[in-house]
Amino acid sequence: MSNFTFKGGLVLENPFPAKEIDLIRIPLPDRVVLPMQQRIGDQAKPCVSVGDHVLTGQVIATIDDDRCAPVHASISGTVVAIDNQVMAHQSGLEALCVTIESDGEDEWMDNSVACTENYDFCTPDTIYNKIRLSGIVGMGGAGFPTHTKVQFAEGCHTLIVNATECEPGIMCDDALMQAYPTKVIRGVEVLLHICGAEKAIIAIEDDKKESIELLRKFCKNERITIEAIPTKYTSGAEKILVKSLLGIEIPSGGYASDVGVLCQNVGTLVAIFDAVVENRPLISRVVTITGSAIKEPKNLQVRLGASYDYVLSFADIEQGENDIRMAGMMMGVDLEGTNYSISKNTNCIFVNKPIEKPSAQECIRCGMCNTVCPVELLPQQLYWYSKSSNIEKALDYNLLDCIECGCCSHVCPSNIPLVDYYQFAKALNKQQTKEKEQTDNARERFEFREFRLERNKQERAEMMEAKKKALKEKMAKDKAQKIAIAAAQERVNAAKTAKESEDAR
Amino acid sequence: MQDKAMDTNQVMRQVIYALALGVAAQVYFFGFSVLVQIALAVITALAAEALVLRMRGMQIAPSLRDGSAVLTAVLLAIAIPSIAPWWIIVLGVLFAIVFGKQLFGGLGNNPFNPAMLGYAFLLISYPLQMTQWPSEFQGALAIFEFSGVDALTGATNLDYVKTQLMLGESIGALTFESISQMWINFGFLLGGIYLLLRRIVFWHIPLSLIAGLALMSSILYLIDPANFSSPVFHLINGATMLAAFFIATDPVSASTTPLGRLIYGFAIGAIIIVIRVFGGYPDAVAFAVLLMNITVPLIDYYTQPKVFGK
Repeated sequence: MSNFTFKGGLVLENPFPAKEIDLIRIPLPDRVVLPMQQRIGDQAKPCVSVGDHVLTGQVIATIDDDRCAPVHASISGTVVAIDNQVMAHQSGLEALCVTIESDGEDEWMDNSVACTENYDFCTPDTIYNKIRLSGIVGMGGAGFPTHTKVQFAEGCHTLIVNATECEPGIMCDDALMQAYPTKVIRGVEVLLHICGAEKAIIAIEDDKKESIELLRKFCKNERITIEAIPTKYTSGAEKILVKSLLGIEIPSGGYASDVGVLCQNVGTLVAIFDAVVENRPLISRVVTITGSAIKEPKNLQVRLGASYDYVLSFADIEQGENDIRMAGMMMGVDLEGTNYSISKNTNCIFVNKPIEKPSAQECIRCGMCNTVCPVELLPQQLYWYSKSSNIEKALDYNLLDCIECGCCSHVCPSNIPLVDYYQFAKALNKQQTKEKEQTDNARERFEFREFRLERNKQERAEMMEAKKKALKEKMAKDKAQKIAIAAAQERVNAAKTAKESEDAR
Repeated sequence: MQDKAMDTNQVMRQVIYALALGVAAQVYFFGFSVLVQIALAVITALAAEALVLRMRGMQIAPSLRDGSAVLTAVLLAIAIPSIAPWWIIVLGVLFAIVFGKQLFGGLGNNPFNPAMLGYAFLLISYPLQMTQWPSEFQGALAIFEFSGVDALTGATNLDYVKTQLMLGESIGALTFESISQMWINFGFLLGGIYLLLRRIVFWHIPLSLIAGLALMSSILYLIDPANFSSPVFHLINGATMLAAFFIATDPVSASTTPLGRLIYGFAIGAIIIVIRVFGGYPDAVAFAVLLMNITVPLIDYYTQPKVFGK
């Protein structure tokens, strides 16, 4: 615990180290394409129309869903299209996007309204709302809305700032910390102010010496500590990070908030600082451009929505057919072509010279995978059951605890894309659970209908019975009455006759 | 061990190379017939594998290249007596590859160790040919001869002990002239240590197998040294080291969890002693391994490591 390490994982070298980690601001793009669909939840609804003139930082789409964040114009200009565009995802699915053509002015919204510069004097609720309205999501790649995550973590005791940047090759967090160390620290202070945690830990992998030194130099707050953790892949996975820093194991199926911890990526904190102190919504991010086809990896500060082609034009790319990969070399996705735009969670673009991937062989159960699995699963068994779609057994072997880090695939001597199988099995499980729910619902409905029909029938029968009984009773009563009347009549008649005969005498 | 060390083909090749010392010792004591057996076995294995793959409509070259069929063939060839007639090894390898491996779906899908399945098949079907070992330094090329083999044969130490005990001798009175078994075991031990150092096999199975074998034989030896051989005798005789490092460690048919591997190896070691001492066969590796192969799904299920957060 003292040295912040963990079981499993991989020590991976940065395959394409940069000579210098600079943050380069690139000129404004001529046009941006902003997707309405963010990672999860519903897609935002555009509140501008084609032909509208928008200003930088203006809200162009809103949403009620808590799992989503609003979208802001990242440049000033004219909305030229609101249509479906291909997303940077393996599936190649399309989603609604707003396209803005730049007027070259970068004219900002009046952002002095509802200023929270002196956040110390604002209530946490005010700041919380500011974060929500600024469209901030997790900048580490997950893209989960920050305001929702902060809300979940209410009453937390520790804020962990994830500056590990554990996937080899990505350098955007390192570049950001070196460029804006004070923003990072003040961002942490803002978040400490609203989340109520007593302390914050900034965790940085120990190969980023400059960042560690800079942050330590600029950090004057006693509640914030900066910890160097071993450079070992998956150190930045939330569960692993919480365990290695605090020794707390997040229960299976739970989140950091369940153990009173709030984890935020360092890029998110800079975004929070920009939003709260400088009143600028999230309109740009740092993207690492790297890969075997790039002469010198770069970290670029890019306006959201800029096209991949535009961003890549600032790097020296070797000519020829290259493979494009978004996000890390371990967990990223391979993309077809470059016809995409930078979104809030695009942390890295790999441009690699094409290499022939070795074809997968059969699994020989050698067990290399389970020695590197950071959550201590048995990937070889999961593979076996995922491959045969035996979901029940795969769940027995804790399929749902897999964090899809890809360590197992990386060491597999048979080159099996193991994580692909787990993703497939998880999707199948979801589908089966849903189908089961539906059939359960249908069965319940059917059973209730049967029950209701039966009940009605019984009720009706009882009612009939009661009616019959009542009728019978009434008839009996009537009869008795009739008899009584007849008897009375008889008596009267008898009396009459008796009187008459007396009279006659 | 952080990055990918080697691919499956290289793993198989390394295991084959690691057998070299033990095989060299066999050649030294029993002659070049050992190598002829290996050559026959490999040719048969490749042909059988290719034929079945063709019948299954699958790609032949990648599977032949993975080296698994060759490894099975070599293991079986060095497990049988070097003077066994040529058709013994051919039948054994055919059975191992076709029934033991391909019928289950090929590499990675076989529940049993193919080489041991082939061995068990041979031992049950041809007990005579399977138990006649050559006398040291006399092996020559008897495999192609159909008569006159008897003159060359000698008993292995394990066999010798068994027959002498049956004749009423006490173990203390026996003298062992045969040192070949010891050197062969030593050769396989060195090869096994190489595999451990290269981290091609994990330490769990070899260590627990040796522990199980030593513990079981020690208990018996302590009870009655006159009728039971010492643990040292069991460690350096028969196929002990070959089993510990090369046979029981076949990952496909072995248990795959860390704790499971310990149980699996230990049980094989213990069962080897039980069969050697109380059973009717001279050595027991094949049956011990096959018995434990059956239990692997159960062991794996109940020895899952504690998952993060559970």
